[in-house]
Amino acid sequence: MLPLLWLIPTLPLAGFLMLALGGSHLSRRSVAVIGTGSVALSALIAILIAIDFIAARPPGLAFQQEAWVWIATADFSPKIGFYLDALSLVMVLVVTVVSFLIHLYSTEFMINDEGYARFFAYMNLFVGSMCILVLADNLLFLYLGWEGVGLCSYLLIGFWYRDPDNGRAARKAFIVTRIGDTAMALGLSLLFTHLGTLDIQPLMQRVTQQWPEGSELAILAAALLLAGAVGKSAQLPLQTWLPDAMAGPTPVSALIHAATMVTAGVYLIARTHALFSLAPPVQLAVAVIGALTLLLAGFSALAQKDIKRVLAYSTISQIGYMFLALGVGAWSAAIFHLMTHAFFKALLFLSAGVVIRSLHEEHNIFRMGGLRKKLPVAFWTFLIGSASLAALPLVTAGFYSKDLILWQVWSSAQGNSWLWVAGWAGAILTGFYIFRVVFLVFFGEARTAVPLETKRPGLRITIPLVVLATLSLTGGWIETPPFLGNLTLFSDFVQHALPPAQVIHDGKNDQTILELLAIAASLGSIALAYLLFLRYPYFIHSLMLIPVLARIRKFWGSGWGFDWLYDNLIIRPYLWLAYADRHDVIDNIYSMAISCTLRWLQKIDRHDVIDNIYSGLAELCLFLYRALSATQSGQVRRYAAAIAAGSIGIIFMGVFA
Amino acid sequence: MNSIYPDLIALSPLILLAVSAVVVMLAAAFYRNPRPVIMLTLLGLILSFTSLFLPQSIASRQVTALLVLDHYALFFIGLIVVATFVVAVLCYRYFGGNESRHEALYILLLLAALGGGVLVASSHFASFLLGLELLSISLFALIAYPRFTERPLEAGIKYLILAGFSSGLLLFGMALVYAQLGTMQFAKIGTMLTAPDQALELYGLAGLALIVTGVGFKLALVPFHMWTPDVYEGAPAPITAFIATVSKGAMLALLLRYFLMAGAYQSHQITFALSLVAVTSILVGNLLALLQDNIKRILAYSSIAQLGYLLVGFLAFDPLAIEAVAYFLTAYFVTMLGAFGVVTVRSGGFNGGDNDGSGGVAERDSDRLADYAGLFWHRPWLAGVFTAMLLSLAGIPLTMGFIGKFYILAAGVEASLWIPVIALVIGSTIGLFYYLRIIAVMCAPGSQAITEPTMRPVASPSLVESVMLAALALLLIWLGVFPAQLIDVLEGTVVNLS
Repeated sequence: MLPLLWLIPTLPLAGFLMLALGGSHLSRRSVAVIGTGSVALSALIAILIAIDFIAARPPGLAFQQEAWVWIATADFSPKIGFYLDALSLVMVLVVTVVSFLIHLYSTEFMINDEGYARFFAYMNLFVGSMCILVLADNLLFLYLGWEGVGLCSYLLIGFWYRDPDNGRAARKAFIVTRIGDTAMALGLSLLFTHLGTLDIQPLMQRVTQQWPEGSELAILAAALLLAGAVGKSAQLPLQTWLPDAMAGPTPVSALIHAATMVTAGVYLIARTHALFSLAPPVQLAVAVIGALTLLLAGFSALAQKDIKRVLAYSTISQIGYMFLALGVGAWSAAIFHLMTHAFFKALLFLSAGVVIRSLHEEHNIFRMGGLRKKLPVAFWTFLIGSASLAALPLVTAGFYSKDLILWQVWSSAQGNSWLWVAGWAGAILTGFYIFRVVFLVFFGEARTAVPLETKRPGLRITIPLVVLATLSLTGGWIETPPFLGNLTLFSDFVQHALPPAQVIHDGKNDQTILELLAIAASLGSIALAYLLFLRYPYFIHSLMLIPVLARIRKFWGSGWGFDWLYDNLIIRPYLWLAYADRHDVIDNIYSMAISCTLRWLQKIDRHDVIDNIYSGLAELCLFLYRALSATQSGQVRRYAAAIAAGSIGIIFMGVFA
Repeated sequence: MNSIYPDLIALSPLILLAVSAVVVMLAAAFYRNPRPVIMLTLLGLILSFTSLFLPQSIASRQVTALLVLDHYALFFIGLIVVATFVVAVLCYRYFGGNESRHEALYILLLLAALGGGVLVASSHFASFLLGLELLSISLFALIAYPRFTERPLEAGIKYLILAGFSSGLLLFGMALVYAQLGTMQFAKIGTMLTAPDQALELYGLAGLALIVTGVGFKLALVPFHMWTPDVYEGAPAPITAFIATVSKGAMLALLLRYFLMAGAYQSHQITFALSLVAVTSILVGNLLALLQDNIKRILAYSSIAQLGYLLVGFLAFDPLAIEAVAYFLTAYFVTMLGAFGVVTVRSGGFNGGDNDGSGGVAERDSDRLADYAGLFWHRPWLAGVFTAMLLSLAGIPLTMGFIGKFYILAAGVEASLWIPVIALVIGSTIGLFYYLRIIAVMCAPGSQAITEPTMRPVASPSLVESVMLAALALLLIWLGVFPAQLIDVLEGTVVNLS
């Protein structure tokens, strides 16, 4: 099966081509079959390859497949090749399976949208790019996938492009992530110029051989890659695009902005972990960024009214956990949480989609309520997703992955108790904000009547929900803490690709105490949410009457004012400069600052010097064009004269120069 | 007599071209019907192309002192034959299809291709001149083929006079070189020039310079470029494609061989003169195209600039440079054939200009910018192909033009040719303007191109033409995305030259 690896990205890309070229002539049924079928096939191949991989155990526990050399020059010959090891296998499984489920869901969810074929074309392009990203053998090829998913994200956030707000959100996402991507491109150039290759495996070997731990180059390269990861994964300080990205259709939020694309940064760091291990300051930065992000986003999630924005902040916060794990060297714990998060967050978005659609595009959780009876499927699946997110002990996948992270943050050589406290506080926040949503939306009294004509969700919506719910419950049982069976299937499996964290505190007692604390955080936060939002809701109301608290809530709700900050710190000054430049302010500054000796400069400057350079260039071109055109007289004698003159000139140069 | 057999095998592509010219002529003499004639022409071209693989086993064969059939020559003969094939197909409907009597055209086309083939294989001044004249004289007639129409005739006469003039200079240059060195074989000139005590005297240097002049005229390099727009505009569109590709490509291939074999690149004066010519060609070509309203003239100026780019890679004179030049030239062939193919298809065509009464339907090709307004809305595929070709000329990624330009730039930077490289960058920037301008015009929405009386109806291409244009566009993008395939071929053939 392994040689079929190349088909995994190729099938969705083929689906994209078919839909993009012929989508407008196809019936909705064929569009759905092509769009979902291609992803289904690639998921099937991924599963078969996984079985084969585990059964046959290829040499070196990795499989390489080279498609072709893109371009071969002396010392630069980037390959188009795929690399499959335990890490990319886990990633590709998660990506294809979750994508398939979301595609299936979308066939029904988007059925009344006029852009049905366009939607599936973009989605297929996304899946293809994402598979390239995780399977690429070469950082340049990975970058292709990286930009491909960014493009799809842009296209899909602005899917309903007729509303200018959606276009604005799409541009914001594109531009903010571009900041990180630029840094990443610089990082790739740095790695290539110093190490002479971009093939990931040889590159990582050379990194460990040639760069000592803590060397400046390693720190710089790791920092640049980290900037790329931070942009893509919406971490501090580039997290502002993700809440706005919720303007896209809900399946898009589930697939791109929760389960797969935003975790690409986590994958990138895990893939290049050898480099990050050599740069301890950067690795510490990863952990600190993760810890800060998970707390800030948790508080913001608490103050949102829009159900999708709660989930968006929750995503940012959960990726913060993954960064925290990466930062302390718990690579496999990060990927494990990435996997379980993909399941339960996709589930949360998809069931939220059902709720939103049933209430005619109502996003405000304060206008929902009592939906438990009306929408049983959405209720149960959302409840399961929330329980998993809140790490409800024993029965949910989120419990195992999050507690593994917390334990390793405590026990790892690079971890410390402050980071653990941040993670633990984040766990309390998590349970609190998500069960706030659960209680407001599904319990209590109905604040908006569910329209009578609402259809019950059909099979194509229900099946993905049920499958994801099952995975959200059971997905964690492959890795359990010592006092619960001590299964380590997952970390054993990825061990070859991702070394285990260095443990310094290895006490069974410690671990049990920490686990109990984590369980207490989870249960306590749910109980608190129950008390505050269901039992005694007036308490919150009275609290909100205190102006300071109301203001804090508003501040959190706005995402800690980052948008405001960037608006004032970057966008406004930039616009002001542009505006100023147009109105000769710069010139005035010059004329004040420049002394008499430079008076002549000022004279030139007074009239929009920059503009003049540009328009001058254009004028110069036009002038030359006119002058030269005049030589094209159409008269043979002139032409012959030119040839003669040219010959004389060349003879002159040839003989005398 | 045994030794003649491998010679014949080696020469078979050229012999087959010559034979098919004779066969086509005889066929036309007895059956005045274009359809069998074009079939024979195409068959001859296909046979000639297939025969390219026969001498493959012979590494490099010198056939008499005049011709050398090595992989380099075979590659370029192949390119010429394929381009001639495309042009022949384009000519058929353009010149009136089966209704008009234009059989003689194909004879001339085959002869011109033969001339090009001789040029790329020549290793001697005599065969150089033979090939050149065979090509030029066929072109005079081809350009003025619609002889009852004013513009082609004017273009033909201009080309005749100026080409005669430049051939004279070329011949004189050869004579001067011969006068000093006493040989006309490139290889011998090379050994003489590289001999330590041998330096060229005044005559010899002037001779080399005059040869550059003659070549410069054919390649339409500044300041020998002035004929280009007039002839491109006046000539029938498929013939323009032929001039742009076969005539220039053959000449450039010859120039490269001549420079490497005859060691002319060791003359600093000549390389300096050539780099000056390259820089001015790039700048002047691009500037002249800037606000031009005639597509054929734009393409003419653009080809001046493109040849300037080629010269930059050429001046590096190392294996990478040869590879770069060959790649760029292939890209240029594909692009120019595609672009003029679109112009051909878009034009109604000359209906033979024959004395059967129906002649001279069109006074000109559809070559004004206005003829292309809104083309995207009524002929999306045609406009798409044209866009691809223009983007390739502008050097936008995912097209062959990008890889070619990248290659040239790499070769130039490697050889530290800073001034030509800077000119290349500036030229490309200016060039982007007029290429994008055409695309913008094609996209202009709501154009009433069909209803306005001044506009010409959009001719619909025949099936063969559509398939060919699509194939060119696909090739352009395919080799732009996966250049390694062509590069492998080039590394196997062309680079062996030096």
